[in-house]
Amino acid sequence: MIKVNNVSKKYGSFTALHAIDLEIGEGEFIAVLGPSGCGKTTLLKLLAGFMGPTDGTIEMDNLILASKKRVLPPEKRNIGMVFQSFALWPHMTVAEHVKFPLSYHPNKIKEGKKELQERINDVLKLVGLDSLAERYPSELSGGQKQRVALARAIAPLPNLLLMDEPLSALDVELRMEMRKEIQKLHRETKASIVFVTHDQGEALAIADKIVVMNQGRIEQIAPPEVLYTRPETEFVATFVGKCNLVKGEWRNDQFIPAIDSKNVWSDLGVTTSFKENGIYPVRPEQFQLMPPEKNGLQGIVSFVQYQGHEIHYTVEVGEETWTIHESVFTTRFATGDFVSISLKNAPVQTESLVSY
Amino acid sequence: MTAKPPKAEERKKRDSSFSLFFQSKNLYKIIGLLVIFVFFLLPVLRLVWLSFVDDGSLTMQYYTEVLREPATWKTVKNTLIVVLGSTILALVLGILFSWIVAYVQLSGKRAMQLFIFLPFVIPSYITTLAWTQFFSASGPVTAMLSWLPGDLQAPNLYSIGGIILLLGISHYPLVYLFTVNVFRKIPRELEEAAATSGLSKKRAFWKVVLPLALPGIASGGLIAFLSNLDNFGIPAFLGTPANIRVLSTYIYEQVVGFGPSAFSRAAVLSVILGLIALIGTILQWFLLRRSRVNETSRSDSTPRIYLSASKQKLLEVSLWVFLLVTSLMPLITMGALSLISAYGVPFKLENLSLRNYEYVFLTDSKPLSALSNSIQLAFFTMLVCLVIGTAVAYLRFKYPDWSTKTAELFMTIPYALPGTVFALCMIFMWLEPIPGWNPGIYGTVWILFIAYVTRFLVLQVRGSYTALLQIDPSMEEAARTSGAAGWVKWRRILLPLLFPGIVSGALLVFLMALTELTVSSLLWSSGSETVGVVIFGYEQAGYSTYSTAFSTVLVLGILFGGGLFMLLSKLWDRKVLKTK
Repeated sequence: MIKVNNVSKKYGSFTALHAIDLEIGEGEFIAVLGPSGCGKTTLLKLLAGFMGPTDGTIEMDNLILASKKRVLPPEKRNIGMVFQSFALWPHMTVAEHVKFPLSYHPNKIKEGKKELQERINDVLKLVGLDSLAERYPSELSGGQKQRVALARAIAPLPNLLLMDEPLSALDVELRMEMRKEIQKLHRETKASIVFVTHDQGEALAIADKIVVMNQGRIEQIAPPEVLYTRPETEFVATFVGKCNLVKGEWRNDQFIPAIDSKNVWSDLGVTTSFKENGIYPVRPEQFQLMPPEKNGLQGIVSFVQYQGHEIHYTVEVGEETWTIHESVFTTRFATGDFVSISLKNAPVQTESLVSY
Repeated sequence: MTAKPPKAEERKKRDSSFSLFFQSKNLYKIIGLLVIFVFFLLPVLRLVWLSFVDDGSLTMQYYTEVLREPATWKTVKNTLIVVLGSTILALVLGILFSWIVAYVQLSGKRAMQLFIFLPFVIPSYITTLAWTQFFSASGPVTAMLSWLPGDLQAPNLYSIGGIILLLGISHYPLVYLFTVNVFRKIPRELEEAAATSGLSKKRAFWKVVLPLALPGIASGGLIAFLSNLDNFGIPAFLGTPANIRVLSTYIYEQVVGFGPSAFSRAAVLSVILGLIALIGTILQWFLLRRSRVNETSRSDSTPRIYLSASKQKLLEVSLWVFLLVTSLMPLITMGALSLISAYGVPFKLENLSLRNYEYVFLTDSKPLSALSNSIQLAFFTMLVCLVIGTAVAYLRFKYPDWSTKTAELFMTIPYALPGTVFALCMIFMWLEPIPGWNPGIYGTVWILFIAYVTRFLVLQVRGSYTALLQIDPSMEEAARTSGAAGWVKWRRILLPLLFPGIVSGALLVFLMALTELTVSSLLWSSGSETVGVVIFGYEQAGYSTYSTAFSTVLVLGILFGGGLFMLLSKLWDRKVLKTK
C-alpha cells in the first residue's frame, strides 16, 4: 500500500505538482495519464526517490519514504523501474542485467549461488529471454531490449514497479504485444504498478485504475470504463477519447441543447460538474445520423473521412462543429448533405465491467 | 504555565536543526567555492593588485612608466599585427578545411582529420623548430630552390611573417574543431529550401550556410585569437633572434631580467595583455549576440557536394599535399637533420651520425633529468586532475546550479589566461601565500606542480563532463533503482561507461603538462627543469642540433602514445562497450 499525501513539488517559482493525494493498493495497476508537462514524470521521480517533495509525504506500508526534510534514496526503496529509453548497460549481458539487482537491491538474494542462478533463470524464462542470456544489448532487437528492462526491474520482486512510458520507444505492432506482456507480468508478480503514459489507448487497455493529470493537478481517478463513460471534467472528457461538449440547459435531468430547444435529451450518466456548467459531453459514437426528415437536430456534413471500420463525419450544427463516428453498415452521407442528429439511447456504466 | 517553556524550547530546537540542514548545504557550497576562489581566482586578483601597489601604497607609477616607453607601444603594435594576421590565417584555413570535410565527397576523411589534429599533440615550439629546419640552409626547401633558375632564397622564418605563418598553422585546427560540427549540423533542407527559392549554390553559401555557421566560426576565431595571444614558444623561438617582441615574450624578458621593479612592470604588461584578450572576447560576444541558431539539430555527416571523379582526385591530392607539407614534412626534416654531425653541414651520408643523441642523452645530464621531471610532473598532475576534475564534473552534472557554474568559470580562468601572465600570478600567489609568510614553494618543483594542476584542471573537468553528458542519465538511475549506490554504482556502471572519455581528458592533461613551456620557463629553478625549458635553453644557446635531437625523441614518444591510446580506446569500445 503506497500513500501519497498532499505532495507538492516546486522547481524554483514553477509548481510542477499541486498538493497531490493518491493511494496505490496492493497489487494494483495504475496508469498515470496526461499531456507532456502535466507533472506525471515528476510524480514518478518522487515515487522512485530521485528527488524529494517540497511538501507532503510519501508512505509505503506505513514507512515514510519521503517528506520535505528526509528522502529515502531509490537504492534503499523496495522498488523496480523500467525506463523510457530502457537504460540497458552496454557492457553487461542479459543475464548480468538480471543478476545486478539480485546482488544489490534491498530484496537481494542472500542465499547461495545456486539460488541466485535459479532466480536468474526463472526471471529470464518469465520474459522469454532464456535463450539470449549471454547476449549484449547491442545484439538485441527493440522488443528484446524492452524485455531485459522488464526482467531487471521485476527480478528482486519489488513491492512497487514504476514504468516511465516504457512502450513509447517501440513501434506500433510491438507496443500491442508488449501491453499483453506487461499485463502477464503483473498477473504473475502481483506487484503494484505505476505506469506513466501520454497514450490514452494504452492507459485504457492495461490499467485497473487511471489517474488523469493536468497542469500539476489530478483531474480524475477512476477505472478505465468509468473514466471514459463518466468523465468528471472537460479536460478528461476531451483528453481521453474525443468528445463533443454540447452547450445547453439542464432541467430536471433533461438536457435542452442551446441550438435547438425543440429537442430534449435524457441523462445517460452525465456528472454533476457538467450539469452545473450547462454542458452535455457526447462521444462521437453516441450520436446517430439520420436523413433530415427524421426527428433531431439539423446539421450539414462538412467533411467525411473513411476509416475502414467506421466513418468520421464532421457536421456543422448551428454555430458548433461536431464530430460523429458512424458504423460503415449504416446509411452513408456525403459532404454537403443535410442530416438529422439524435442521441443513441445506450445506458452508461457506472462500474467497471471488464475484469482483469 | 509549567508545561509551556519546554514546548517552546522543543520547537526552537526543531526549527534550528531544520534550518541547519539548509545552512549546511549552502555552507558546503560556499566553502567549496571559497577554496576554488583562493586557488583559481585570487592569484589573478593579486597580480592586478600588484600592478597598482608600490611599497604598500597605491600608485599609478608603474603604469605611467611603462606606458610612456616607446618599446611598450612597439610591442603592443607587434602583438596586434601578429595576432590579427595569424587569427585571419587560422580562420581561413580552418573554415576552408571544415567546410570541405563536412560537405564535399572525399575519400580518406578520417586520415585527413588525424593529420589536421597533428599540430595539436605536437607542442608549438617543436613545430617551430621543425619548420626552421625545413627552411634552413641544409633543409629541403633551400635544396629545391637551388634547382630552380634564378637566385631564389628560402623565406626567412625569423620575421613577423614567419611568426604569423607558424601561429596560423598551429592554431587552424582549433577553428576546424569548432566549425566542422557546426557545418554538419546545418540542416541540408535549409540549403535545399534556398535552392528551390532560386538561390545559386554560391549565394546560398553566403546567405544561408555562413550566417548559420557564424557562432561556431566566432567561437573558433576567439579560441584561435586567445591562443595566438597566449603563445610564447613561437615568438620566443622566431622573434627573439630577430629582435621582434610581442607581449608574451616581453613579459618573460621583464621577469628574467630581474630589474628592481621587474615584477611590477611585468604585472602592468600582463594587465595590458589581459585587456586585449578581454576586448577580443567582448567582440565575439557582440558577434554572437544577434545570431539565433537551433541548438537541437542533428549532425549530418553524409556529403552534400559531389565532384566529378577527376576534380575530386585533384582536390584530394592538393589537400594531402598541404597537410603533409605543413604537418609531417617539417617533423621528418627535423628528424633527418638531427642526425647530421654539425649545424650547417649538408645532408649527406658521411655527415650522418648519432652524435647529437649521444650528447643529449649520455653526455649532458640535463635532458634526462628534465624528461624525468616532466614525466613525474605530468603524471601526478594527471592523477590529481583526474580525481578532482571528474568529481567536479560529476557535481556540475548532477547539480547544475549557480554554485557549480561559478566553480567551473573560476577554473577556466587559469587556462584562459596567457601562460606568461598565469606564471606571474603563480609567483605572486605562492611566493607568499599569506603576506609575510614564505613557505618556500617558489623555487622548487612544487610551484610547477601547483601551477600545472591549477592550469590544466579545467581540461579534465570538460573531458569528464562531456563523457557524462554522453551517457543517458537513466543509466545511473537504473543502477540506483536496482539498489546500487556509492562506490558500487561507480565501479560497476559509471566508470566502465565513462572510461574512454575520462581517459582522453586525462591524457590531454598529461600531454599538455609533459610538453609545457610557457609556464615552466618562468617557474623553473635549477633541478626542476622541464623538457620545454631544456629545449628552449639549447635553442637560445644556439645548439639547434641538440634541440632537434631531443625534440625528435619527444615527437616519436608522443606519436607512439597517441597511437596506443587510439588503439586502446577502440579495443575498449569493442570489448567492453560492445559497440559495432
